Amino acid sequence: MADQHPPKYGTVARSNQWGTRVKPNKHGLRLGDINVGVYGEIPDRWEDQTRNPRGAIAKKGVPPLGYAIRDKADLWADCAADLYEEAIQRRFASATDVPWHTIKPLPDVLERSICQVLTELCQYANCDIEVISQWQHQMAYGYHEVKQFLATATFDATRMYETFRKRALCNGGGLGLEGPGEINRMILESRGGWSETVTYLLLMRGSYMQTMLRYLERYAQNDAERSIYRFALEAKARQITYGLDHLRYSIAHDDDRRTVMQMLFFIGDRVWARELGDHVLREALSIIFAGGLEDAPTEGNATYNRMMRDFMNEYLGICEWLGVKRDLATLPGRMSQFVIAAAG
Amino acid sequence: MRFPSPEWFNAVAAVFNADDRYRGAGGGQSFCRFGVIVGDDIVVVTMDGHECSGAETVDRSSLTDVDFYLEMPRSQWLAMLKDIATNGRATLNHTLNTIDLDLDEGLSKSIHGDQYREDLFFRYNQTLQFLFDASARVQTDFGAST
Repeated sequence: MADQHPPKYGTVARSNQWGTRVKPNKHGLRLGDINVGVYGEIPDRWEDQTRNPRGAIAKKGVPPLGYAIRDKADLWADCAADLYEEAIQRRFASATDVPWHTIKPLPDVLERSICQVLTELCQYANCDIEVISQWQHQMAYGYHEVKQFLATATFDATRMYETFRKRALCNGGGLGLEGPGEINRMILESRGGWSETVTYLLLMRGSYMQTMLRYLERYAQNDAERSIYRFALEAKARQITYGLDHLRYSIAHDDDRRTVMQMLFFIGDRVWARELGDHVLREALSIIFAGGLEDAPTEGNATYNRMMRDFMNEYLGICEWLGVKRDLATLPGRMSQFVIAAAG
Repeated sequence: MRFPSPEWFNAVAAVFNADDRYRGAGGGQSFCRFGVIVGDDIVVVTMDGHECSGAETVDRSSLTDVDFYLEMPRSQWLAMLKDIATNGRATLNHTLNTIDLDLDEGLSKSIHGDQYREDLFFRYNQTLQFLFDASARVQTDFGAST
């Protein structure tokens, strides 16, 4: 056995700010509440390249971990700590919180359509998981609120994947056709930085998915589906809120960001338009909205068009709110048709 | 109790605040102020953590301070509340989300147009639904128009 020196315990007492006593309030002790003193100092750039927790004494000689995202403007959102708490509190266990017993056998064409939509929603959720987690490890630890919130976003996406899959497999149906996935690929391969990915994942596809979830809740066949879509809707709304707050912060601290986003939307719109050309999802949604095949081409399709108008209003509304100018004349026809219809 | 008076909301809040079931399954703490407009009656409701902490009558100019407000014709408010009273909770055509989609102008609106604050309607959607669902256990005066 090697010689061991008797411990002196002197180093244990070292701290940048000892005597910190944050008290819980009536809402508990929340992540944002403990941002006091040095622990709440969040610099514009995080120079430390290790896992040193914010406010701790840095150890010399730790090999750098190579975090790529160290500028606050590239990931920060003031609401991140609150969103983290919100996500934890609004957690949802699909095994027991969904009233699965309310699902009854449906006409085959309706069940097939529901399963088709859920198949594509599983792909969306899977894309969320992969995209967020591939960026998360590149974010510096000084901005732990964002990393923690994004961890909940990843977990929310896994629960969406799980819950959508369960619904598809519990009523005599099964998974349908894989969707085209061009948007997924565009999001996965966006390499210009996390803010670029946020633009595509959380604002562009996020607002589309949120709109779709709202319509699916509206046209749900039972309480189980209703609760599934409502859970997903809340989770997606949190992600969009982070996206909005981050991009607003980023635009305020980076002169070029707004122009870059303008170009990103221009590029993204074209990929989006290609994906909209796929008829499978549109037809499945039309059947769900019409409650069957008979009225799908008329009533169902009209509701689909209304959903798309709502999406375009939301999408363009977000751009306007962020101050990102859009030239509607450059929108691809598959998108602009819904803007024109909204104006009329 | 008359809808939409502060007394009515306080009675609903008493039910909502005391029922732990409203805190799980997608429910949770919420922090917002939202308006409810029924004709000329305007009530602002405050959500603070797990509780609905208060309601007050205001005039239209105060709506600039709320995160969002819910507005629809009195007949639709009453149809929603009657559905909740009958079924113990809102059924398909009477959920807040459904009504928001079905109304041409939407149910949830704001004066400030702040996307961030408007999105609280979606982030807290389940809690807001639970709050209105709690009205099933409150005696509501639907008024002569019904």
